[in-house]
Amino acid sequence: MNRLIIITLGVFSTLNVFAQGPPITTETPIMLGLEGNGIRTFGKFISKENANIYVQPMAIPYNITSKFQIGGIFPFKFITPKGAETTGGFADMTVFAKYQLYKKDGKAKTFRILGMVKQTFPTGKTSSSPAIGSGLYQTYVGLVIGKLTAKKGLYADFGYNMTNKDSSDNFLYNFSLGVPLLPHKYPQKQLNTFLEFNGNYVFDSKVHTVFISPGFQFIPGRRILFEISLQIPIVQNNSTTNKTNYMVLLGTRFLIN
Amino acid sequence: MKNIFKQTGVLVLILLFSMASITTINAQTNDQKLTYVKVEVKGLACPFCAYGLEKKLKDLDGVESIKIDVEEGLVYLTVFKSKKPLKEKLEKIVTDAGFTPSSIVFSKKSFTLKDEN
Repeated sequence: MNRLIIITLGVFSTLNVFAQGPPITTETPIMLGLEGNGIRTFGKFISKENANIYVQPMAIPYNITSKFQIGGIFPFKFITPKGAETTGGFADMTVFAKYQLYKKDGKAKTFRILGMVKQTFPTGKTSSSPAIGSGLYQTYVGLVIGKLTAKKGLYADFGYNMTNKDSSDNFLYNFSLGVPLLPHKYPQKQLNTFLEFNGNYVFDSKVHTVFISPGFQFIPGRRILFEISLQIPIVQNNSTTNKTNYMVLLGTRFLIN
Repeated sequence: MKNIFKQTGVLVLILLFSMASITTINAQTNDQKLTYVKVEVKGLACPFCAYGLEKKLKDLDGVESIKIDVEEGLVYLTVFKSKKPLKEKLEKIVTDAGFTPSSIVFSKKSFTLKDEN
């Protein structure tokens, strides 16, 4: 029993020595290097009760200063309803801006808060069945918070998403805890593991969904990383038959210059 | 036979002494040409964020090498004496890279890095 306690403490103390990388399904308040400034793309497979969906977004950020970032997200979406043919194409594009509101730096640690605004445009076609786009203009206003030390890293983002027309607004929130599995050195190969939670509450229908999202991230060098995350619903109170079974994300981030 | 051993021994000693002298002279020559800088960078908490800082420092004129110790939040620069950067210039680079500069130490001798102990 004592040996087990010692081994457990040993493993946790080792894990706590190192910091971790950018979270996979949560925003990061650090807009530096691969931690926020890398071009990102991933393939996301969504298994629903009545359809399979594949989304492939490309996110391109640009740092105007170290405090201010703008960017765009350009997604392609393919939907295959059960027993029907696949419909696909360019989906709703988003532009975003992030501004650093607060920063407190210390020796091998930092705490940062960003304000974030996103505007989504109805660029995806709605004439097809099923529709690729939402047909809505959506405006998101939120905060991104992160505390990164040599021992642990915690990230959170939350915000209000407003929609035009008669569609309901929603509140989105994400939390992330990351733990590195390799020593904390630069430059060096990095392997990180994440446990994240992704929530969405739709006001009008009172539908609340929460996913638990474990993931891994491998960074072979200074300029590229690979990541994988599995998202499993733990709260899903919608009464429709279109519930999500699970989602798998497989992606990469890289720096061009 | 004894003489051969003696002569060989003397030759080996002379050779070793010469090599040691050359190494010392080289180190002295390097020390005469180079300046070593240790920059304490606050907020440097992740290896992935260090890339931007490294890139900006590499663009500095006269930088011979850069080593980053993320665990200690330290950046070690080796620069040519003739192009020794100003403290204010280094502070601006660190700030522009998104971090907070702390102490900056210039030295004629190279710093001993944690990993080299």
